[in-house]
Amino acid sequence: MEKFAKVIVKFKWLIIVAVIGLTIFFGLQLKTLTINSDVLSSLPDDDPVAKLYKDIGKKYGGNDMGMVVLETKNVFTLETLEHIKQITDSLKITEGISTVSSLTDIIDIKDVDGGIEIGKLVDEYELPQTKSQLDSLKNYVFSKDMYKGSIVSEDGTATLVMFTLLEDADKQAVAKDVKAKVKVMNLPEKLYFGGMPMMMDDISDLIMADLIWLLPVVFFLIAFILFLSFKSARGVIMPLLTAGISVIWTLGIMVLAGYELTMISNNIPIILLAVGSAYTIHVINSINLSDEKDRKKAVVKALGYIIVPVILSAVTTAIGFVSFVFGAYLTMIRDFGIFTSIGTLIALLLSIFFIPSVISGFSMYKKNVDNETKQETENKGFIANKLLQPLVNLLFKHPKYTLITWGALLLLSIGGMFLITTSVNMQEYFKEDNPTRVSEDIMQTKFGGSQPVFVAFNGNMQSPEVLKMMTKTQEYMEQSPDISTTQSVADLVQEMNDVMGEGKKIPEEQDKIEQLWFLLDGQDIMPQLVSDELDEGIVQARFESADSKAMSDFVIYMDKFVKENSSETCKIKVTGMPSVYVRMNESLLQSQFSSLLIAILLVLFIVGLILKSPSKGIYATIPIISTIAILFGFMGYAGISLDIATVLVASIALGIGIDYSIHIITGFNFHLKETGDVQKALEHTIMTSGKAIIINVVSVASGFLVLLFSQMVPLQNFGMLVALSMIGSGLGALTLLPVALILANRKKKITVK
Amino acid sequence: MKNLKLSAVVVALILFAGFNANAQDGNTILKKLDEVMYSPKDMTGNTEIILIDKAGKKKTRKATTIQKGTDKRLFRFTAPSSQAGIATLSLPNDVMYLYMPAFGKERRISSSVKSSKFAGTDFAYEDMEAKLFVKKYTANLLKKEGNLLVVELKPVSKKSSYLKIIAKLDKTNYYPTYMEFYDKGNKKIKTATYKFEKIGKYWNAKEITMVDLKKNHKTIMKMSGIKYDTGLTDNDFTVRKLKQ
Repeated sequence: MEKFAKVIVKFKWLIIVAVIGLTIFFGLQLKTLTINSDVLSSLPDDDPVAKLYKDIGKKYGGNDMGMVVLETKNVFTLETLEHIKQITDSLKITEGISTVSSLTDIIDIKDVDGGIEIGKLVDEYELPQTKSQLDSLKNYVFSKDMYKGSIVSEDGTATLVMFTLLEDADKQAVAKDVKAKVKVMNLPEKLYFGGMPMMMDDISDLIMADLIWLLPVVFFLIAFILFLSFKSARGVIMPLLTAGISVIWTLGIMVLAGYELTMISNNIPIILLAVGSAYTIHVINSINLSDEKDRKKAVVKALGYIIVPVILSAVTTAIGFVSFVFGAYLTMIRDFGIFTSIGTLIALLLSIFFIPSVISGFSMYKKNVDNETKQETENKGFIANKLLQPLVNLLFKHPKYTLITWGALLLLSIGGMFLITTSVNMQEYFKEDNPTRVSEDIMQTKFGGSQPVFVAFNGNMQSPEVLKMMTKTQEYMEQSPDISTTQSVADLVQEMNDVMGEGKKIPEEQDKIEQLWFLLDGQDIMPQLVSDELDEGIVQARFESADSKAMSDFVIYMDKFVKENSSETCKIKVTGMPSVYVRMNESLLQSQFSSLLIAILLVLFIVGLILKSPSKGIYATIPIISTIAILFGFMGYAGISLDIATVLVASIALGIGIDYSIHIITGFNFHLKETGDVQKALEHTIMTSGKAIIINVVSVASGFLVLLFSQMVPLQNFGMLVALSMIGSGLGALTLLPVALILANRKKKITVK
Repeated sequence: MKNLKLSAVVVALILFAGFNANAQDGNTILKKLDEVMYSPKDMTGNTEIILIDKAGKKKTRKATTIQKGTDKRLFRFTAPSSQAGIATLSLPNDVMYLYMPAFGKERRISSSVKSSKFAGTDFAYEDMEAKLFVKKYTANLLKKEGNLLVVELKPVSKKSSYLKIIAKLDKTNYYPTYMEFYDKGNKKIKTATYKFEKIGKYWNAKEITMVDLKKNHKTIMKMSGIKYDTGLTDNDFTVRKLKQ
């Protein structure tokens, strides 16, 4: 290892120049870093249900629809109608908007004897004024299924202004424009914005908010902790420099690999700051502790000693991050895992190549013995005297207390594990006051939910059989307690058949349908319901419940229908948010299990390999596995559900938390060889490594705790749980592991005897 | 303060006077335009409607057309075959009859919605409305451009979806060559290009291309086999004739 260290010192200038060059190169890439606020794009292509959902959203323009919700006491007043008209008119002339429909601008078809009358529901130029006019409008609206509950809520307190965006419009710009225009009106009604384009705009604001607000907080927090620990500029600057450069490289690589910043991966910089500074801390600490006068020699010696533990610690952390790559359902989680783990490895490389080069290159190694040793002893004094010494005393006096305490905690936790719930509802990922969540909530309560359900039919859209099957499907769907209305081209054909005086039904003859199409062709709604080639059509519906049991029941209910009715001439497929959530839920548990298993096995293997003993590998995992068990128990009792982010905690905690055990075990081995006495060796280990572990726990935990201020609920929970696990595994390494080592060595002695 | 008000009135009067002078010009031009467009007593011919979407895909419909005066018109579709025989009869006061051979009967459809599209084309009902220009618009001559008159048309009906139409007319013959349609946000949303030819003593719009600038969708309407003043009577525009 010293050879390796010598090479690094020898090529220090080359390394420094290369790092600066690469940092500039990757930094320049950041200019083209884009934000992906489209949550749906994260649904996996290899799941047919998710793929179909994405495809339908694109093909039928569902993702291009937005709405403004007006909520007031009573929609049917002249004042409110005027405001609806004001919004409608303003949206109509908004760049990028194709069509607008609202209470004051919607086509109404009335039967009059001998024919039909096509008009507007409300004459926008002569809005109803008197009470009787308003009442009759209200009665008429509530008498028609196509308005009731869809354009005006059933209680008459909310109404929608719906708009579609042009396909090639800049959706975010339109969303911002719509919000700005409506806000300027200063209307007395409560206003909400809904639909994908509006939601994407909110999410991208939120992605930026997390970056802008949390990053500096983490930065200063970690700087503060570093300063408390090292009390030197170098001790603060170097770790932050490594973490900062690794953030730039990681994001640069993301750009080059064609990835975008998502509402999860925007936290990579924060996590890298918390995690990535640790390796440099170890390296600097090791150099600081060196008693060499010559800085080159000091660096070489310190490096030779620290390289293996630092590599081990970074690799296990990277494994923790990468372990859920195989099980994660959402691609944004997968990307987050990959790039955080890349960033961790970059931080490792920088701390063993770049930091020693800088220290040896820029005469930063000043052995100001007086000052530093004084600080060292001071630091050592506080943590050692107030924390570690009492701990050591307790451990040796009452090893069984420690075991009993951990055992009790574990038992309690196993109970809690059964209380763990899963949450896949994306609505709950936003904070309660988040505009996206608020408008989703209002859609839920006033308009029967906003979770789309689609049934796709592949077949000739003008054939009576296919259209009848669509109608049959719709009737079947509407029997479900959570679906109130459905919409398809079959409805329109029935309407037009009625216009021709033959009743609201699908004609038996294809030529009649083909002629009715004359009335449908070119209507704005058609591209939302059938494909251009008329070989595919969809039934659209909204699912009203957010309950996962209701969703999985519905999926089973629909699957049964598809099985019985899908045929060669009319292939039926079901998708929608309920179906996607059910898949996500299944995959959540599966990915928790598989990622944890992968992480445990890999960590066991690597730790065992490097410590050259499989049994030590097992010892090293005792504290962290216990911590994870307690973590799950805590989640169960605290009601924190397993979601897209909290599912990652266990593997990450394992990856980071294992380090503490590794430190204890390596220290113990070293001192055991030196003294031959288990008790002394342990005491020595805890007194020396204990400090490093406590500093590390505090800095990593506080870094993750900053995520409590994130805009995303899963990330808040994620931050808290990782911080908790850090404290747990630190404590485990300092209490449970030593006791296990004491007991193990006692046994050994007995067997030897 | 009073003076200020007074001078404002004076300025307004002057402006109005100036405006009025142009409007006078404009309205004379509109009358001439109406003479060109609506002077034949009746007309018989074939219409071909070509719809082109933004990907360049074409759909073609064909129909025979007869028209009398400004407000009676009968379309009978001949292609595509699935829609052959469908016929529409437009009568005054927004009344239209639709006949579908597969159903063997007609239905009366009255529509007051001007802004909706005519049978899937880029023409709105108000574009197709065979009503005298003088009745539909007030006009304002903006400028002369070589051989063309540039006129600003403002819809009389507030129900129109247009704020204004900028039309270019042939200076000598007064037929339109080009029109731009502006929505109420003063944004150009459609353009129409006209090709005229003289058949006998009348000018005929042998081809109109309407482009929806928002959707990048195009409709070409071609007229052929035009015959004028063949003596069509009101009897040719009845529901009985529609069903034949």
